[in-house]
Amino acid sequence: MAQFRSEATASASLLTNPAKLIDSVETFLFDCDGVIWRGDVLIDGVPETVEMLRSKGKRLIFVTNNSTKSRKQYGKKFEMLGLDVTEEEIFSSSFAAAAYLMSINFPSHKKVYVVGESGIQLELKQAGINYLGGPEDGDKRIDLSPGQLMQHDPDVAAVVVGFDRYINYYKLQYATLCIRENPGCMFIATNCDSVAHFTECQEWAGGGCMVGAIKGSTQREPLVVGKPSTFMMDHVTSKFNIKTSQICMVGDRLDTDILFGQNEGCATLLVLSGVTTLETLQSADNKIQPHYYTPTISELLAAKDLANGLHSSLL
Amino acid sequence: MNCCAQVGAEAGGSAPFLTDHTTLIDSVETFIFDCDGVIWKGDSLIDGVPETLDMLRSMGKRLVFVTNNSTKSRKQYGKKFESLGLSVSAEEIFASSFAAAAYLKSMKFPTDKKVYIIGEAGIQLELKQAGINYIGGPEDGDKRIDLTPGQLMEHDHDVGAVVVGFDRYLNYYKLQYATLCIRENPGCMFIATNCDAVIHLTDAQEWAGGGSMVGAIKGSTKKEPLVVGKPSTFMMDCLASEFNIKTSQICMVGDRLDTDILFGQNGGCATLLVLSGVTTLETLQSSENKIQPDFYTNKISDLLAAKKVTTNA
Repeated sequence: MAQFRSEATASASLLTNPAKLIDSVETFLFDCDGVIWRGDVLIDGVPETVEMLRSKGKRLIFVTNNSTKSRKQYGKKFEMLGLDVTEEEIFSSSFAAAAYLMSINFPSHKKVYVVGESGIQLELKQAGINYLGGPEDGDKRIDLSPGQLMQHDPDVAAVVVGFDRYINYYKLQYATLCIRENPGCMFIATNCDSVAHFTECQEWAGGGCMVGAIKGSTQREPLVVGKPSTFMMDHVTSKFNIKTSQICMVGDRLDTDILFGQNEGCATLLVLSGVTTLETLQSADNKIQPHYYTPTISELLAAKDLANGLHSSLL
Repeated sequence: MNCCAQVGAEAGGSAPFLTDHTTLIDSVETFIFDCDGVIWKGDSLIDGVPETLDMLRSMGKRLVFVTNNSTKSRKQYGKKFESLGLSVSAEEIFASSFAAAAYLKSMKFPTDKKVYIIGEAGIQLELKQAGINYIGGPEDGDKRIDLTPGQLMEHDHDVGAVVVGFDRYLNYYKLQYATLCIRENPGCMFIATNCDAVIHLTDAQEWAGGGSMVGAIKGSTKKEPLVVGKPSTFMMDCLASEFNIKTSQICMVGDRLDTDILFGQNGGCATLLVLSGVTTLETLQSSENKIQPDFYTNKISDLLAAKKVTTNA
């Protein structure tokens, strides 16, 4: 793959030889929001592209920072959209949070406070980890009447923060108390994405919002388990016994997807079907250059028509 | 630099405990007091405050109250002082709610533009007083976002500034509305009343502060706000100009190192930390703490010791 890599400081090239890229790797890692779907709407050409890559013997893995669903729930979403993807091929940041806690032998008598949605809860439950908070705290109000005191569970040893459409002051304060007052309590973020396409119509404030709120009240930096942290990559390569140099990471976001791929030495392909525009990619302020960029993943379908890889000096 | 510096902390050493109250009081003309953790905790007055303020006034000192808490307007704070038995006028109070409005006036915020508020009534009242149009605030507290397929949030393209302060009714609707304004309205400002991590909103414990709401918008916009509250010197400049006073003639009294004390230091004032609020002696003396006031004391009523001294020590 090294022969196809652009120089570290060179600009990304438009992908013109998809066949060569496909032949040079064994595994494709796909982000989901903005790459496979936007909200609940499939992006054009995705089913055919996925099929084509599978027919060429490529391993496909789906890595998403969106912690609102568990791997199982994502499996159902893929199914509902007509895509044949198994739960074992999906790595969501909700799963990553639970996997991280398991990897450090989170004590069984301790609990996690969740600022986030059911995806995180389901993965924690699957991992046998006790938790409180989450959607159940969505209707709790704080009025700050004189003398009001919020009690909190001293057994909370980790706060996991992800996107939460039902965020409120009760949750922020509960999480703040746990982190500030329970000795050794961890502050874990599923991701810090500033915005994401939660519906297909526009960008919505993302997990970075909730994480930013807790950073503001605790003045602590979280341990981030989602992209661009390499935790999920290490997990994937270990599970499937693959080398990162044999992977192409495909995503729509420079500071998570592309950085994620670069941090581990993968080939990187940016698609313009999500949050990043060509203007942003080519702006002087942008320091993150993928190897290639392309409008959508369906551009890879051009490789289907080629019997052999093209010999081209230009990529 | 205030003459108190000569009796203050050695550079690099920890702040000394205040023992010569008379010299400190005699060396300044004005005392600026933070409120939460200095004058009151939640709605409970801290012991000895009324007598201390009376003594300082009787010694001819000007008293000014500067608070980062944007939930009330200056007028509402005036009523709070009154309800606690303290005689303090609205003109002696500089709240960060007022600072936000004063800042927008100072840069001639266009009359055809609006402000979107993440915050409480204090900000709304000060903007209204300044003749600035606004939307948002408590009215958006009950709005829910379900992110159903096809959902689109419209936003007002005339919003030229988002002002963020403490908001106990924070929700995703407000976060998203503010995010859209800052990201999509050209030139839309992101103004923070303050970035305080925690505050004594009730006397019983510390509560996540304005820093939480501001942190949320920093997270979704990746922009740094313009902060009008402490430690920014905007309010210091306002009151120095209003009262025509030199900052070297001021002693800043507060309970928080990274806002109150830094505010005083940035403005060139003498600084006195009280331990009646969010900062403990341990935190002050910890090797990680880089902010040393000129002096520290337990609470402001310790200044009453000056009353007992008829000649300088």
